[in-house]
Amino acid sequence: MDTNVITEYLPLFWDALVITLKIGWQGIAVAFVLGLLDAAILHFQIPVLKRMVGAYIELFRNTPLLVQLFFIYFALPKVGLSLSAETCGWLGLGLLGGAYMAESFRSGLDAISQIQVESALSLGMSKGQAFYHVILPQAVSISVPGLLANVIFLLKETSVFSTISLMDLMFTAKDLIGMYAKTTESLFLLVVFYLIMLLPVSFFGTILERRVRHAEFGD
Amino acid sequence: MKNNLLKKIVAGLLTVTLTGAFLSGCGKTTDVDNGTSNAEAKTAGYRTLDEIKESGYINIGVFSDKSPFGYVDENGEYAGYDVYFAEQIGKDLGVDINYVSTEAANRIEYLQTGKVDIILANFTVTEERAQEVDFALPYMNVALGVVSPEDAVITDLSQIGADDEVIVISGTTAETYLTKNYPDIKLQKYDAYAEAKTAFENGNGVAWANDNTEVIAFAIENEGFEVGISSLGSADTIAPAVTKGNDSLLQWLNDEIESLGADNFFHKDYEATLLDTYGKDYEDTLVVEGGKVEE
Repeated sequence: MDTNVITEYLPLFWDALVITLKIGWQGIAVAFVLGLLDAAILHFQIPVLKRMVGAYIELFRNTPLLVQLFFIYFALPKVGLSLSAETCGWLGLGLLGGAYMAESFRSGLDAISQIQVESALSLGMSKGQAFYHVILPQAVSISVPGLLANVIFLLKETSVFSTISLMDLMFTAKDLIGMYAKTTESLFLLVVFYLIMLLPVSFFGTILERRVRHAEFGD
Repeated sequence: MKNNLLKKIVAGLLTVTLTGAFLSGCGKTTDVDNGTSNAEAKTAGYRTLDEIKESGYINIGVFSDKSPFGYVDENGEYAGYDVYFAEQIGKDLGVDINYVSTEAANRIEYLQTGKVDIILANFTVTEERAQEVDFALPYMNVALGVVSPEDAVITDLSQIGADDEVIVISGTTAETYLTKNYPDIKLQKYDAYAEAKTAFENGNGVAWANDNTEVIAFAIENEGFEVGISSLGSADTIAPAVTKGNDSLLQWLNDEIESLGADNFFHKDYEATLLDTYGKDYEDTLVVEGGKVEE
């Protein structure tokens, strides 16, 4: 490996990391909101809406992100809806993530026994109070491992962004290899930068998990 | 809990170091491969002419989405100017052809890792590439060209504004040329022809820079587009490439191209594959016969 090449490529990879993280976190934020909303709709069995949410979840969980991005970026302009590559990136990631997040949140909500709700109501709590004070804290605690796995999964999914011309980490490495054929250096930097991006998520994820689940683990 | 965190950090650091060691290890073995003629290393890198003949098949890397040079036709068969030549190579070698679909950016990779024996994917000869692979004699001329929408034709690169983006395909000579000579022009990069074309049709980018053969074909096939710059940068050639050091195959290819020149093979190739797109006018400018470029 040539260290000069690595130093020369470093700024390019930093730029790519910034873009990847920016779009990645925007997408994840959208996914969280969508997921929570969907899970609530499914949990409370809201008529009509619950059918729509069900269809959305099945559609996005059973098609690859690549196909979704193709559709948003290349097909929508044909019917007059042109979005920038960055918008397509976070939108696609958010829609895909929302479907996964919804299932994680729902698993948490459904895990709380109905008896707890009934007990809370018999103690004089309103339905809202029962949800906010009794169900939600326990549900979130149960959902956390699934949610964290989704976050890491979504950040890794950014590697298909090259299709829509976003210079994410993967595309930057491929592009440099194509232009200068310094394969070993480019791939080394690629792996290192993915680790730089994802290891902290893993670390802090574990800490967060312990924090929110201290009722189960103790300390 | 503290103990756990420490363990995680140590594990993380270990991962990074190991990955580094592993990858740099890879680099070193490749260096050794290139330097020696030791039989084992050689088979890992490329297959010699005899090995190809013995195995009964040859792997040829071609484009599957670059009409009319290398593409998959409506019957699912590979076709085009490059493929026509590939078919002849298979016939003259007496082996079956196994086509491998490539993208612009992985052509060098495919040769270096021995995934293909020959790259016949409209590969422009450049100095940088010649350091990584061995080029045979040329069979086509090429320069760069820029196509833009008819109502906003770009006839000079200075017309491109600071916020305008020019579409290029990752790993092409157009990308390298613009990156090197016009670093201020913003590039919108795609990793495959099909995607770049669709994006350009959809109105992304003010222009598309690529081989002039490609942009001319695009403007002929798509209404509303015009090639404002038909020749940019230096006049280059397109040639087959083999893995660096695969001399037996390289020599055979050079002999093949020279002997095919005797019966005007590449003119026939042009008439069979390119005539519909370009007409008669471009035949003599594009075709290189017998490996001899006319000045």
